[in-house]
Amino acid sequence: MRRIDWRWILTGGALLIALSAPLLLSDYPYWLHVAIVAYFYAILASSWSLLAGYAGQFSFAHMAFMAIGAYGSGLMGKYLGTTPAVGIVASTVLAGFVGLIIGTLCLRLRGAYLALFTIAFSEVLRLTLNAELKITGGPNGLSLEPLLATTSRVPYYYLMLILLLASLGFMYWLAGSRFGLFFRSIREDEEAAAAMGVHIVRYKIAAFVITAMVAGLAGGVEAHYIGLVTPNILILGQMSIVIAMAVIGGIESLVGAAIGAILVQFSLELLREVGNWRLVAFGLLLMLTLRFARNGLIYPLIDRLVLQQAREAVIVGRAQKAKQVGEQA
Amino acid sequence: MIELDVRDVHIHFGGIQALNGVSFSVRGPELIGLIGPNGAGKTTLTNILNGVYKPTRGEVYLNGERISGLPPYEVARRGLGRTFQVTRAFRRMTVLENMLVPAMALHPTGRRQDFVDRAMEILRFLTMDHLAYEYARSLSGGQQKLLELGRLLMLDPDLIILDEPFAGVHPKLRETIWEFITTVHRQGKAFIIISHDMETIFTLSRRLLVLNFGELIADGDPDEVKEDPAVIEAYLGKED
Amino acid sequence: MEINFPFILRLLADGLLIGFIYALMAMGLTLIFSVLRVVSFAHGEHYMIGGYVAYYLLDTFTGLHPLLAILLAGTATFAIGAVFERIFLRPLAEEKVERPGEYAILVTFGLGFFLQYLTLALVGPHPKKTRRYFDLPTFELGPIKATAATLKLGTIPLSATRLTAAVIAVVLMLAMLYLIHRTWLGKGLRAVSQDKQAAAVVGVNPLTMSTLAFGLGTMLAGMSGAALVPTFAWVPAVGAPAAIKSYVIIVLGGMGSIPGAMLGGLIIGIVEALGTGLLPDPNRAFAYRDAYGMVIFALVLLLRPTGLFGREE
Repeated sequence: MRRIDWRWILTGGALLIALSAPLLLSDYPYWLHVAIVAYFYAILASSWSLLAGYAGQFSFAHMAFMAIGAYGSGLMGKYLGTTPAVGIVASTVLAGFVGLIIGTLCLRLRGAYLALFTIAFSEVLRLTLNAELKITGGPNGLSLEPLLATTSRVPYYYLMLILLLASLGFMYWLAGSRFGLFFRSIREDEEAAAAMGVHIVRYKIAAFVITAMVAGLAGGVEAHYIGLVTPNILILGQMSIVIAMAVIGGIESLVGAAIGAILVQFSLELLREVGNWRLVAFGLLLMLTLRFARNGLIYPLIDRLVLQQAREAVIVGRAQKAKQVGEQA
Repeated sequence: MIELDVRDVHIHFGGIQALNGVSFSVRGPELIGLIGPNGAGKTTLTNILNGVYKPTRGEVYLNGERISGLPPYEVARRGLGRTFQVTRAFRRMTVLENMLVPAMALHPTGRRQDFVDRAMEILRFLTMDHLAYEYARSLSGGQQKLLELGRLLMLDPDLIILDEPFAGVHPKLRETIWEFITTVHRQGKAFIIISHDMETIFTLSRRLLVLNFGELIADGDPDEVKEDPAVIEAYLGKED
Repeated sequence: MEINFPFILRLLADGLLIGFIYALMAMGLTLIFSVLRVVSFAHGEHYMIGGYVAYYLLDTFTGLHPLLAILLAGTATFAIGAVFERIFLRPLAEEKVERPGEYAILVTFGLGFFLQYLTLALVGPHPKKTRRYFDLPTFELGPIKATAATLKLGTIPLSATRLTAAVIAVVLMLAMLYLIHRTWLGKGLRAVSQDKQAAAVVGVNPLTMSTLAFGLGTMLAGMSGAALVPTFAWVPAVGAPAAIKSYVIIVLGGMGSIPGAMLGGLIIGIVEALGTGLLPDPNRAFAYRDAYGMVIFALVLLLRPTGLFGREE
């Protein structure tokens, strides 16, 4: 009797729900908006988990790169007259470039030093955006042209969903390639990885550049959807939320982090009436997850339900290989 | 034929002169033991050879090319591999993935399957092929040590530096490691082996380097070095 | 732009006074680091909570002496720190955690997040402020003139609130130095900070010392906040800029170095004051106030990560 392949069922089901959400939520456009924001956070959380969970670089500059994407495109639109599409592409590249600089500066920084330096960078950026009123609009923010010529949320929903799937797909491919292998070896033991020939400099910087671009792209698109960006997206509290989403979802799993982000965002919305207490609960959940479930809450579930299948296949494969090896010897 | 030239290498940390004018050469597939009391500078020398440290004075040449000052991954690519005193496998990666890292690092092109085949071959030699898909952290200490050795082979280095390969190892495993060293040596690779296990080192190596307080006090045939008064003093004198 | 000396002296004086509080807070952070090898990313929140505890105590018990309020605020934050360490950081001390560095960063960050929103939920976003703790006695002694709110040294005015805060900070720092260097407890802390196993061998319990160190560190942060509540408008977000200053200071002075923290505090206080005062556009200069320290911080991290006095990690 064939075992049910839960992977396909769950993925298929999730995709089906996601694709038909605008139909299901047509009476609740607000929730469509929540979904768009949730996908935005999912992109941020999963790209952060690639940088931190895979490559071991616990950077707090992620929202800064997102902000560069947002403000970059907005400022280009305001002063250079670029269309949103051009602005987004250009600011994504800009974010990558800044990622290159930050990654290079961070090469010799580990642990708390890396965290602190990236916090400092993020804060300086925020303070600058706040201070330069005439250019950036300061605390009141910068307004942006809409990306799509539509008054409905539906096109934006699909855009963000596609962006999420595309970035997840890209990062998943990356994680399975030599990049992923080297990233993980760097996280495990940088010195040993170097002794094994892994080009530490190249791959650490690559991790920063790639994740910065993903964050920048998400920031650009989101900003042109919302129509306004303020320096408040850069407050440390926002970075904490993204980190918390990734941790709860599972730092070492891109999909786990993304799902964690979506679930957290919807939960936060559902609990809106509770006010700030929902964030209190969230913070507590973060701490407890770290203390008692370091692999996250979502990832182990995926692992158990879905990967069990894969693991059984591996065991079978191993047995067959062992048999082959035995026969060859 | 591999050529390693260590020329007048000095390094100091803070106020301590850890290595003071160390010079020696390696030609071809030698089997060299590196011994000396604790703190003599053996691991420091290894760190300089593989690029973790840069000497404050002096140079290291590998096959005519200056490697002192190159980062470890560049040195690894040029044929110098090393292990660490404490086993440093990539714990949350599988045994096979551990093996693939150096191979893929050194060969940007090349089919993954070829690397997998080579890795499995080495694992078979180490009788660890059945563990290929296990996470390194679930391996026993001895198996992790063997993994480190296998991983090193994937680099296909010409010169291998082993830092305390026999430390805290039970007799059966010692045998396996011994066999590993002699077999690989026969294939034409040079070894520098750091060890406190005098008996093993004296029998295994064809040449002995003795380090004491950062200086090379002896370099030669194990039987002669054993009798060298400076060497004897270095060890016995320490017991005061 | 002519150099206006009295103005600069004013700035320096202001900066120096605030610098003492920064130093006190940084001392707490560096104490935690030297014993636990952990940078607490929740340090700012303890500062913030200390301030609120003092505010509410003084608000509720009108006869309460400010110094007592500060002490009680310190006790409260000590308790929070000790409990947190016991539950969440104990595994680190027991060395049962893989990748301890990561864990410490994330879990203290989580604590900060939790404490900030907890406070926000409990007290709301409206700023709180107390009146100054002590009125200066009115007197005149040559160039030194004092009124209730200000002490004037020549032409340099020093606000009573800042002066009080600075004095409290100096007293507390001296008390801590005494604790660390002249008491058995301090010896234990120093022993564990140098070598946990050796300390255990001579009868010091590293686990207890870790809890104590963390509690003391958060206590100092809480007392810093309590001392500064009359000076600044207090909101739950007030912890973040203060924390960042502490990080800047301990990196500048060297992680784990108490003299470094003290010196660093003063330097940062001065740098901020001068930076704010010397930039031509006053509004922007003020907005950038927190940035000066951070630029220095980034430079120190890149050029001399061990700081002025620090040791290798």
